[in-house]
Formats: sequence, structure tokens, C-alpha cells
Amino acid sequence: MTHPIPPVLKLTNISRSFGPIKAVQSVSLELRRGEVIGLTGENGAGKSTLLKILAGIERPDEGQMEINGKVVQFRGPNDALKAGVGVVHQEQSLFTNLTVAENIEHQNLDRRGLSRFGLQDWGRINRDAAAVLDKIGVRLSPKARVGDLSFVDRQMVEIARAISVVSTSSGTPLIILDEPTAVLERAEVEVLEREILKLKKFAAVIFVSHRLDEILRICDRVVVMRHGALTRDTSTTGITKGELFNAMVDETPVQVSRKRAAQARTNTPALEVRGLTSAGRFRDISFAVHPGQIVALVGTNGSGRGALARAIFGAETCDAGTIEVGGTPVSHWSIGRAVAAGLAYVPAERKVEGMIGGYSGTRNIALVHPGQGRAGPFLRPRRMAKVAQDWFDRLDVSPNDISKPLGQFSGGNQQKVVLAKWLNSSNLKVLILDHPLRGLDVGVSQAVNAQIRAACANGTAVLMIPDTIEEALDLADDMLVMRDGVISATHDLNNTHDQHALKDIVAEMV
Amino acid sequence: MNIASSSRPQPGPSLVHRLSRAVAWNAVAPPLVFAGMLLVVGVLNANYLGPIGISIATASAAPIMLVALGQAMVLNIGSIDLSNAAISLFGTILLAMALPSMGLGAIVGVLLLLTLIGAVNGAILAYTQVPSFALTLGTLGILQTAALVTSGSETIYVSENRELVTVLYNTRLASIPLTFWIGVLVAIAYWAVLRFTVAGQNMTAVGKNERGALLSAVPVRRVKILAFAISGFTGGLAGLAIVAQAGSASASGLGSALLLPGIAAALVGGTSISGGVTNPINVIFGALTVAFVPIAIQAIGFGAQAQSLVYGVFIIVVVALTTTRARGLVIK
Repeated sequence: MTHPIPPVLKLTNISRSFGPIKAVQSVSLELRRGEVIGLTGENGAGKSTLLKILAGIERPDEGQMEINGKVVQFRGPNDALKAGVGVVHQEQSLFTNLTVAENIEHQNLDRRGLSRFGLQDWGRINRDAAAVLDKIGVRLSPKARVGDLSFVDRQMVEIARAISVVSTSSGTPLIILDEPTAVLERAEVEVLEREILKLKKFAAVIFVSHRLDEILRICDRVVVMRHGALTRDTSTTGITKGELFNAMVDETPVQVSRKRAAQARTNTPALEVRGLTSAGRFRDISFAVHPGQIVALVGTNGSGRGALARAIFGAETCDAGTIEVGGTPVSHWSIGRAVAAGLAYVPAERKVEGMIGGYSGTRNIALVHPGQGRAGPFLRPRRMAKVAQDWFDRLDVSPNDISKPLGQFSGGNQQKVVLAKWLNSSNLKVLILDHPLRGLDVGVSQAVNAQIRAACANGTAVLMIPDTIEEALDLADDMLVMRDGVISATHDLNNTHDQHALKDIVAEMV
Repeated sequence: MNIASSSRPQPGPSLVHRLSRAVAWNAVAPPLVFAGMLLVVGVLNANYLGPIGISIATASAAPIMLVALGQAMVLNIGSIDLSNAAISLFGTILLAMALPSMGLGAIVGVLLLLTLIGAVNGAILAYTQVPSFALTLGTLGILQTAALVTSGSETIYVSENRELVTVLYNTRLASIPLTFWIGVLVAIAYWAVLRFTVAGQNMTAVGKNERGALLSAVPVRRVKILAFAISGFTGGLAGLAIVAQAGSASASGLGSALLLPGIAAALVGGTSISGGVTNPINVIFGALTVAFVPIAIQAIGFGAQAQSLVYGVFIIVVVALTTTRARGLVIK
């Protein structure tokens, strides 16, 4: 051993294949105490599989893994936790109906005498949890119910839980944050960044993200994966986004032009809502979206914009107000009627709501709009396959296999198919997009944006909830800012587009 | 994870890939299990595989198969129908009572009524969101009582027009009674419904991901009503098969214990208990396996006392072999 203190994590030639696909190919990586490394790469580059190996969910086919100098072979997530590897997942894994302290100490109940004969020592549980929260410098009450916390606070609880598992004697904890910022708003990201810097004092951190800006700002080192292998492992000082980008993708992608061809607004809006109200979520919402126009709804996660989008699509009921589609007021609104009227909705929760993971791309695309794929009550499998193949080719879905279950595709390719399902209609009037780019890499984001622009150019009205304000500035004609259930400001981006307005928009949101 | 993305263009899946998908274990396990059992019985006691043996086995498999086919359609949408055997039992009694006076009209009428009972099950499920397990447990009790009350707890013999139904049992094609062949036709029909119709596609979509289907404008309520109506209708056919065999009906007689064999046959046939995966053709083999196990146990020479034990162990092993584990174990 050359160093007196062994590295927190040492991977030597780790490989993992799924059938013919090499998801991770001889990855070697070292990580020391106090280091924060950024792990990035396109969707499908192998990041998730590598994380699953570290978290004990998948086992490597080959290679050696050392944690704090000890060779480990995880048989399950519990082994990884005991070894000091804490993963904060993209989809949170907390018990929302339990308190902060219960969540943090849950894994320790048996081992530290916090629970004897089924009786919990609440005093000690709360004290221990408070100590952990104190260690990472988070000010949360151990007795607060996790369900009442904001998203970023829940992430803090997850970090605290990961820390609490590692007792002080067994070495340095390794904290893995899997795209923690994907669903955070700007202010929350800053909070998280401060927390990560605190973690450096006593842990090693792997920060997985698509956002290169954040990686360059937060991390000491950045590791880029492509096709399962590490293509770059370098200090973040002196490296540019362009260089990282080159390490991520095969060829330089085509930059889609920022400006969308402006279209004359017709007098009749494709979608108009007046005084739309849903008790406790949003109230008195009025706006219109014209054919060929993109309207972005920005706001924090609790602003009611998600509920508004679902209500317009008929997925939730409203208490008051009217919806007009193409100038015609709707009544007895439901998803079925909305779709028949030409509305489409791409939900934020892609896997749970956006698609049928067990169904092939062909079936998913054929699910909503009959197109030529039906004859009365009967399906026409060959036509369905042809339609699906056309979309797969047009959107460059990979792997280009229309009969493979959609659940086995990477997120970006799933999103392409979800879009295709809705775009496969000659009667698409309003496209509602809730976080269409969530968790997507740069290349797929551009492909999705290009489809949104194309639909728009064909006269479809687009109502989108963007991940970031930058995304809204990039795509939208108009921006509606929502705060606490009401529209607090509107911006016509075509006339008064001003980069400095960003700060003001954030101010309008919070 | 997709590393193959760089090796584009791929015109489509390779032949090997397609073949390996076509011969997925789940697709071939049910017929293989049945064939294996036939082989064992054939080696140990070939008499059981003669025309008479086949005739007895398929006759007893017919009602199980029909109940199981309805169950498979309900399991496929992610629900369960505990009442479908009770529906068919109630059907046997109505049929036995109505046949003498109404003839063929009795068959049509009873099938319609039972389809309607199934549809009511589905409608209550769709609109009240009572979990199907609890809902159909309730309907099971109601229908059992209805069967007892209508029959006056007595065996009802079909006094006239009996040959209208018994012909289905007495007519043999390749030593196999028509009741079994009806089941085979129904299985093929349901397979085609699932594969080639919009309704079938919607049913499987609901079973695989109900929220996803809902947000894709799949008429989820209609799908549930349809699946339970199918279960009611198929339960009625099972009742028909029972009356055809017995020439009579009773609330405690033939057909009163079809529920668990029906579920077992659906599962042995590779149906996923959590929804979204079924193949009605394989349910045929599931029903044959379930019906054949008691015969096989006898053929192998277990004592009468051990039969239930062996049956239980066998079913567990077979379901473990054939079940689809692609999804969690949640029944809605």
C-alpha cells in the first residue's frame, strides 16, 4: 500500500453485462476522503448500472471493489449500507409517514439497542438522529414527519440516513447522490450544494448529474462515462464544458437554432382557460395558448402548475372555471374527451404514468391514437408495426427495436416513444408537457426539443412545465409565472426577451 | 442501458434474438409441464393414457378450464374474480330449472344473465374502487346463497330437454367430449381478442400499468366491466359443461369447488397474478395439468390420504415453474 490511508473507494476493472450489452466495461476508479467527484454521461452510458453495483443492487461480472481498503462483495443493498455506501436515489426511498428520526435510524434499530424486544427507545432514537443531522449541519426537527418536508429537505434526510449507518470506527462513508438536482428548483440546488461541501469534511461523495455547470461548480474531479467505459477522469480546474461534452458523445451534436420561426397568432386560441380553480391547489387561472405558440408555466414545485396541467387534460377535477378548446367550451371534461378534442399530455412521472413499461414500442404508440393501426374493433398489427418503425426511425430511438418492452429502454429513448405516441395524430391541437426533459441528457433533450418545435410549426399549441427557467427562455413565446396557486406574472418573451430578467423571474416565483 | 446504440443502423432484432424471445420459458412452460406429467404417468401406468383415461381427464378438465379462462382474463387486468365459480354454480341451477320449460332459450338466457352479473361486478369495481378481492368475496357469498335458495338445497334434475345439454358431454371427438372442445375454442377466441383487438390491447395495458393506461385515454372503467363480464360469461359456459356432464345441478354438487382449481389452472397456465401477462392457450394446459394431477397421483400409487398433500406440493412447484415474475405481487 502506497498510501497510509486507503482510498474510500477503489474499483479495479469492474464489468457488468446484460446479455450481449456491456453496460459497464472494466471501470477502474479511486476516490479519497474529502473528494467530491462528478459522474456524468449520456443516458444509457452505464452510470445507473455502476451505481447499482456500488449500492449492492447488481453484482459485477468481473473486477474488484474495495471500500476503505477492504475487498467487498455485496450480496444486497444492506451489505453496501453496512460497508458505508449510502445512495441517495433519484426516486426517494423514505417512509413519508414516519418521522425524520425514524427514517434516519431505521437501519440501526436492531444493532444499537435503539429497540429492545420490539420496544423503541424514542429518546435515544431522536437524540441519535439529531446528532447525525447536527454532524451534516442540517437544521431539521427529528420529530418532523418526512411527508411534510420539501423535496430538498427529504434529500437531506436521505443523506443523514446514509451517514448514520456508518459507525465512526468503520471508516469513511461514501455518499452517492444520483441526479439529486434533477427535480430541484434553483434555490434548492444552492442549498444542496452547500450541504455537499459540508459532507466533504468527513466523507467521499459521488455526484451524478447531467448538468455540467453544477459538476464544474461543485466537484473536485469529474468522471465521464460513455458506452459503459470511463472516457475521462480529470480535475475540474481548467476543463471546459465543451471538453466534457466531447468526452460524453460520439460526435458533436447539431445545435438546434434557438429562435423558432414566429407564427402569426390566429384569433381563436387552441386552448383557453378562464377562472379555473381547484380548491387548495390553484385558483382563478386564466390564459390562452394559440396554435403554434409555446407557453411555459414556471414556478416552484408547490406552485400548483402540475395540478393545473393535469386538470386541463381532464386527469383531475376542477371546482370552477371554464376550458375552451378551439373556441368551443367543454363540459363533463375527462381524459377521453380531452384526447378526442386533440389534447395530449406527457406526464412528469414517465415510468409510472407516461407509458406502459411492459408493452413494446409498437403497442405504446398504438395505445392512444388509432391512426391506420385499427379497423373498427380490430388491430392491424402490420400497420401498427410500420407506424412504430417510422417513429423509431424519425426520432432515432435506440435500440431500434419496436418489439422490445419499453421498460427496458433508457429514459431518453422512453421519452421519445412517449412523445411519438402523442404526436402520432393528425388532430393534435394542444400538447401539454410536464417536465419533458427531466433526467434526459443533452443529446436527447435536443431531439425532444426539436420535436416540440416541429409540432409547434405544424400549428400545435404547446403548454409546457420546464425543468429550468433557461429551458423556458430557450423554447417558449410566453411565460406564465405561478406562485401559491395563482399566476403571479406573465412575460412575452418574443418582445422583451432579456437575459437579466432571469433573476426577476426567480423573485416572482418564491 | 444501451451500448448497442453506436452500432447503428440495425434494421431490427436479429433472428436469434427473435427466436430466443419466442421460446421464452414462460411461453413453453405450461405445455412442457403437462407433457412431462403425461410422460411420467405413461411410464408408470400406461392404462391411464388410453381413450378412457383421456376422456375422463378432459371431461373433468373442461369446467376447470372454462372457469380458469375467465379468471385469466380478470387476472390480466390486474384484478381477481373470486366469484366466478359461484357464478357458474348459480348458473347450473338456473339452467337445470329453466331447461325443461325454455329449452335452448334457457341456455341463452342464463348465459346473458351471468354475463350481466359479471358486468355488475366490474361496474362496482370500476366506480367504487372496492378492491376486487374484497368485492368478489362478497359476491361469492351472495351467489352461493342465491344458489342454495333457488335450488331449495336440493338436487335439481333436468326432467325434459336434457339431451339439449348432455349431447355436449356425450358427443366425442377423438375421445374428448365437446365440452372440452368448447373450452379450447373459447381459449383461442380469448387469445385472439387479447392479441388482435383494441379491447384486448386495452385490457392488457390496464393490467400492466393502470395509471399509465388511464393517462393514455384507455377507458379503464369499460375495460374492467368487460373483463368481469367475460368472466361471468365464461363461468356460465362452465356451468353448461357441468350440467352437460351431470344432467342435474345442486348447490353442493359437481362444480361447487371450482374456484381454487380455476385460479390454480390460470397460474399454472402462466398467468401473472399481478396482471398484464396471460396466454389463454396456455391456460388449456394449465387446466389439463390441474385436472390431471389427481389422476397422476393415483397412477403413481399414492394412498388416498396423501393425495391432497401431493396435490398441494405439486401445485406450488408447478406455479413456481410457470409463473411470470416480471412484476410484483399486487392484486388490485
